[in-house]
Amino acid sequence: MPDFAEPIARLIEELKHLPGIGQKTAQRLAFHILRAEPEEALALAQAIRDAKEKIRECSVCNNITDTDPCFYCTSATRNRKTICVVEEPNNILAIEKTRQFSGLYHVLGGALSPLQGVGPEQLKIKSLIERLKGGVEEIIIATNPNAEGEATAVYISKLIKPLGIRVTRIGVGIPVGSDLEYADEITMLKAIEGRREL
Amino acid sequence: MPLRESEAIVLRTYPLGEGDRLVSFLSRSLGRMRGVAAGARRTKSRFGSTLEPLSYIRIWFFERETRDLVRVNQCELIESFLDVQSDYACGLALAQVSEITEAVLPEREASDAVFRLVLLTARAVKATRKPELPLAYFILWTVKLAGWLPELDRCARCGGGLGGAKVYASVARHGLACEKCRLPAMRPIVTESLAAAKKMLSQRLDKLAESAWPAGTAADLTGHLLELIEHQIERKLTTRRMMMESGA
Repeated sequence: MPDFAEPIARLIEELKHLPGIGQKTAQRLAFHILRAEPEEALALAQAIRDAKEKIRECSVCNNITDTDPCFYCTSATRNRKTICVVEEPNNILAIEKTRQFSGLYHVLGGALSPLQGVGPEQLKIKSLIERLKGGVEEIIIATNPNAEGEATAVYISKLIKPLGIRVTRIGVGIPVGSDLEYADEITMLKAIEGRREL
Repeated sequence: MPLRESEAIVLRTYPLGEGDRLVSFLSRSLGRMRGVAAGARRTKSRFGSTLEPLSYIRIWFFERETRDLVRVNQCELIESFLDVQSDYACGLALAQVSEITEAVLPEREASDAVFRLVLLTARAVKATRKPELPLAYFILWTVKLAGWLPELDRCARCGGGLGGAKVYASVARHGLACEKCRLPAMRPIVTESLAAAKKMLSQRLDKLAESAWPAGTAADLTGHLLELIEHQIERKLTTRRMMMESGA
């Protein structure tokens, strides 16, 4: 590695820790920051500091928030009888974009993944079960439609169904705008299994 | 940069960059390989469900001599094991199959026997939904194919027959020992487990699955073989810890 001055070398090293950032990109970003106006660079530093200091997990749903409980958990307009279970906080945004869901959320913090050492104990499943005592009527499981997400969905549904609460799974199958010709057997099978009456 | 085609089993995948996947797969003709499937995590990915763990696929990829990673171009599903993995116990067992295969098999060393073993195990778990026997069978045969299986009839120290109620084993000392030759810290294995192992080495898995296979059969031997694998690969198996935690 070329010999940069110590502060810039440290900045490059820190930037390299970010996902998808290698040596070259880190150098490019570091030099961009150096060339920027001091206020601009300091605003970036301050934004990172604020995010780290002010953002925490919601004590109810585990979403990331700057107020505890979060916006969704305290909102008077949300339907408190339905909880949508997602893997990560950023999944909430994808669902909110639809403007069709007005219930509450529960973030698991991942999905069952034995290869990554993630089992039921590592997920926020116990707190989900605790929340069901508050008159919840339906749980929508919106984990990813892959092996890990499906295993998590089935595991949770086995725990919740005996409690007499309706458990549903988001639709899985052909994406809008795609072509049936290119769908593989499993995707097509899931689409047929999840068909609905018109 | 020629386009290659092969039958393969997906061992595991890792998220890569914005929407890509790093895929570790076992090619039937070329051995264990890793490659990048561009856009595989996107909703309209052309890979669909083909890159889920243990999917038996036909894969097309580009390979460059100077690069470790191949570029996955296309996949076609031959057989999926996605459904069986929604059962946590079965998923855990199949994850162990993936982890052991990835750890034991060197990269780019074709092994048709291991390929068939992984497929056979996955099919047995899918058919029976009882992972214990297929997993024990897989572990035993993996250790045998890797050349680490001790002699099951003879004491490695005195050369005598292993006739007592128990035999003793330790990963630090190769081979099994009889009651007289046992050393401190050796793990006891009941001779019924050795008999079960001999059965697994001589009979087909589907035939064994038809016979009664009580829970816990050969569990002590399987435990020892897993320790042997961990000793050889010089690291602990994540899935073994997960299994202990889940009580499977």
